[in-house]
Amino acid sequence: MTSVMPVKEKKLMDVKLGELPSWILMRNFTPKGIVGAFQRGYYRFYNKYINVKKGSIAGINMVPAAYVLFSYCLSYKELKHQRRHKFH
Amino acid sequence: HHGGRATRIFHTGQPRLAPLPPLPEYGGKVHLGLIPEEFFQFLYPKTGVTGPYMLGIGLILYFLSKELYVITPETFSTISIVGLLVYVIKKYGTSIGEFIDNLNEQIIAQLEEVKKASIKQIQDEIELEKAQQAQVQKCHYLSDVQRNSIAMALEVIYQERLHKVYKEVKNHLDYHISVQNMMHRKEQEHMIIWVEKHVVQSISAQQEKEMIAKCIADLQLLEKKAQAQPVM
Repeated sequence: MTSVMPVKEKKLMDVKLGELPSWILMRNFTPKGIVGAFQRGYYRFYNKYINVKKGSIAGINMVPAAYVLFSYCLSYKELKHQRRHKFH
Repeated sequence: HHGGRATRIFHTGQPRLAPLPPLPEYGGKVHLGLIPEEFFQFLYPKTGVTGPYMLGIGLILYFLSKELYVITPETFSTISIVGLLVYVIKKYGTSIGEFIDNLNEQIIAQLEEVKKASIKQIQDEIELEKAQQAQVQKCHYLSDVQRNSIAMALEVIYQERLHKVYKEVKNHLDYHISVQNMMHRKEQEHMIIWVEKHVVQSISAQQEKEMIAKCIADLQLLEKKAQAQPVM
């Protein structure tokens, strides 16, 4: 789906900033497209960090780190009340 | 955008009939065990080597000062746990990795053994086939000998039959010749007898008497001559 073609179907890094909205709208938003996007993302991560002969700790380290960040963002609303200073 | 490594394509197009490419040796490089190298390369042209680290420190200070990250009692437990994890990983990481690699290599070595055994077996069978083919090639000598003997037997039989034919034909011709001879002889004898008979018949009675008288006269003459002889 991300073939480099002269049409606006370029990869994300090749898209200029002004073209970004039209590029996002051009993406495939059908259920099959969304599932395909998740699959592609998963396999990109998997093949780069886990499916190798000598994997490092980073492959299994990035998942908890991302989870930590994500859960902190979700629970920021309750944590706001534990702030020490009144003015920032 | 792919970090310089080949993309892996799955289940597109026809199934490949060749073995898959081997797994890459090492995964993508990461700094601090968390942040991929691509981010550092992304910032390198603008900020050099220390740029991302400065960015990280700046962000941490910003979050702390603005209290977007709140320091709670959990912070201290987080710090202790993370510190412990980092220590354990730094100390025992490589050895555990080698241990697991050994396990992996054992499995691969077993599979290699099976593959090698099967290849060797097939090669042995190929050698056997070649030897048998060579043997079959040599068989033509045997059949040559047989062919020769059969040809000789055929020759012998042919000559025998030729000889037989010759004898038969000669037999027939001899028969005709002997028949002719016999006829010839019989005709001769018959003719002699016939000639004698006629000659005897042709001597009439008159002539016979004259002949006898002449013979007697001759005999008397001879007798006289003979008597005269010894007296002298």
